[in-house]
Amino acid sequence: MELETLTASEIVKHLSTGELSAVECTRFYLDRIKSFDGQLNSFISVSELAIETAEKIDVKRAAGKPVGQLAGLPIAIKDGICTAGLRTTAGSKMLEDFVPPYDATIVSRLNDADAIVIGKTNMDEFAMGSSTENSFFGVAKNPWNEQHVPGGSSGGSAACVAGGLAPVAIGSDTGGSIRQPAAFCGITGLKPTYGRVSRYGLIAFASSLDQIGPMTSTVEDAALIMSVIAGHDSRDSTSAKNELPDFLNSIADTVGSKPLAGIRIGVCQEHFEAGLDSEVESAVRESTKVFEALGAEIKHVRLPNTKFAVATYYVVAPCEASSNLSRYDGVRYTHRAAAEDLEQMYCETRAEGFGEEVKKRIMLGTHALSSGYYDAYYLKASKVRRLIKQDYDLAFESVDLILGPTTPTPAFEIGQHSQDPLAMYLADIYTVSANLAGVPAISIPCGLSGSGLPIGLQLQARSFEEATLLKTAHQFQQATDWHQRRPQA
Amino acid sequence: MSEIDKAARLARIRLNESELEESAKQLEKILDYISQLESAETDDSVEPFFGAIESVNAIRSDEVSPSQPREAVLKNAPDTDGEFYVVPPVFK
Repeated sequence: MELETLTASEIVKHLSTGELSAVECTRFYLDRIKSFDGQLNSFISVSELAIETAEKIDVKRAAGKPVGQLAGLPIAIKDGICTAGLRTTAGSKMLEDFVPPYDATIVSRLNDADAIVIGKTNMDEFAMGSSTENSFFGVAKNPWNEQHVPGGSSGGSAACVAGGLAPVAIGSDTGGSIRQPAAFCGITGLKPTYGRVSRYGLIAFASSLDQIGPMTSTVEDAALIMSVIAGHDSRDSTSAKNELPDFLNSIADTVGSKPLAGIRIGVCQEHFEAGLDSEVESAVRESTKVFEALGAEIKHVRLPNTKFAVATYYVVAPCEASSNLSRYDGVRYTHRAAAEDLEQMYCETRAEGFGEEVKKRIMLGTHALSSGYYDAYYLKASKVRRLIKQDYDLAFESVDLILGPTTPTPAFEIGQHSQDPLAMYLADIYTVSANLAGVPAISIPCGLSGSGLPIGLQLQARSFEEATLLKTAHQFQQATDWHQRRPQA
Repeated sequence: MSEIDKAARLARIRLNESELEESAKQLEKILDYISQLESAETDDSVEPFFGAIESVNAIRSDEVSPSQPREAVLKNAPDTDGEFYVVPPVFK
């Protein structure tokens, strides 16, 4: 059995029939990490308890006791999500030695389903970045071409799934941090509706935008993970009480040749303007034909305020971050600089513990919220955020989904944007709007560039309509094989 | 005091001269990009949108429930006396 070519759903099946034991499966991935992660650097920590956990699950199953839905499935978790007893750094020197005393809600749910956390994945510091170059623990590499970034901020999660070092991973997405690396690494990445998945235990970056989601080989795997992690949590007061759909049902087999009949997909002119790479454009336009052949109706929609999305995001997110990151003051979380007095301790600890990009965003947010600037920046951006949301509301009156590229280009080279933060920020141009409006969005592979790098397309849906997203994206994967392409080791 | 210097002080981040200079340059570029928001038409009828879910307050009943044990929480602190966080003097 060539495990690294199996999807998570297939692995779960083999585990349930006993063809594969949890220990074999876990050992296989830990060995892959040992052999290949020296190059990829997709993990920050590897769990020493994984084998022990796997043994317990095998014993439980052998004894005929009931096991969880994901029994024995190894899973990698972004290092910005708390795991009890397993170091959680958020990619920062500030939390280099932080060992959380509790599990994030999604980790508890995965543990309850008998999944096995095998390690914590590399990320841009505090999720601020689009390339994983801002990690204190060194840049992660794109398994398709190690000269290129895997994207970010959940770059380690994308790289480990694409490289076959984990069958599935969890990421978080504040402005594109699941979808952009998924596109760059040729995997599937879902950002659920804001509030669909509990944020309890997610180290906060921008609380009105952050959302946790699955990063997988297939849409089917994303549906499987959603069926475990989604749902209201009393520990996250912004988590939604909306009824949960049967995510697995959305990827059920269909009869007939037009499984997407009745679904209206909007293509938006604003996603095909200057700055879009021509290979990405043609791959996405080709995909449109696939959806059409599957029975979907393709229509044109407008999102005229998309042009303000990145500017809006770079006010809102840094403002929220400047507040959220004030807790790293040298008192509670591991890192403290030597100092004569309290004030100096704060200033020196934060000077030492934060990397450049994080400092820049904290200062940007602090400036934008400071006396005399609030109206011009934060209030103005929040009003433009309303316009962006209204664009979506209007578009979703005439279509069910919005289709476009996930990113303007395939993965860029390591170092390419390091001198120009704005060029880096524009890598998120198609993804930030979904976070600002709170709607769910998925990235799936839809092509390869001439130089052999993956291209992703993005589908966005109305709030809480992940089932429509999953159904449509799944049907695309039934009709194409882009998601089955893997980098040459 | 420059705007950057002021922001760094408010954010409690010490920056040296060259970092201040570099930050000023980069932030100026970003603020310049952000200034395009001025051209978005947001008259008085446009209400700001602060969060993706505009729900009312989430309230719960006021009941005592277990939380993290003190030792577990203090374990990550750089300095404690076993009961409280210990910090350098507030006044010199």
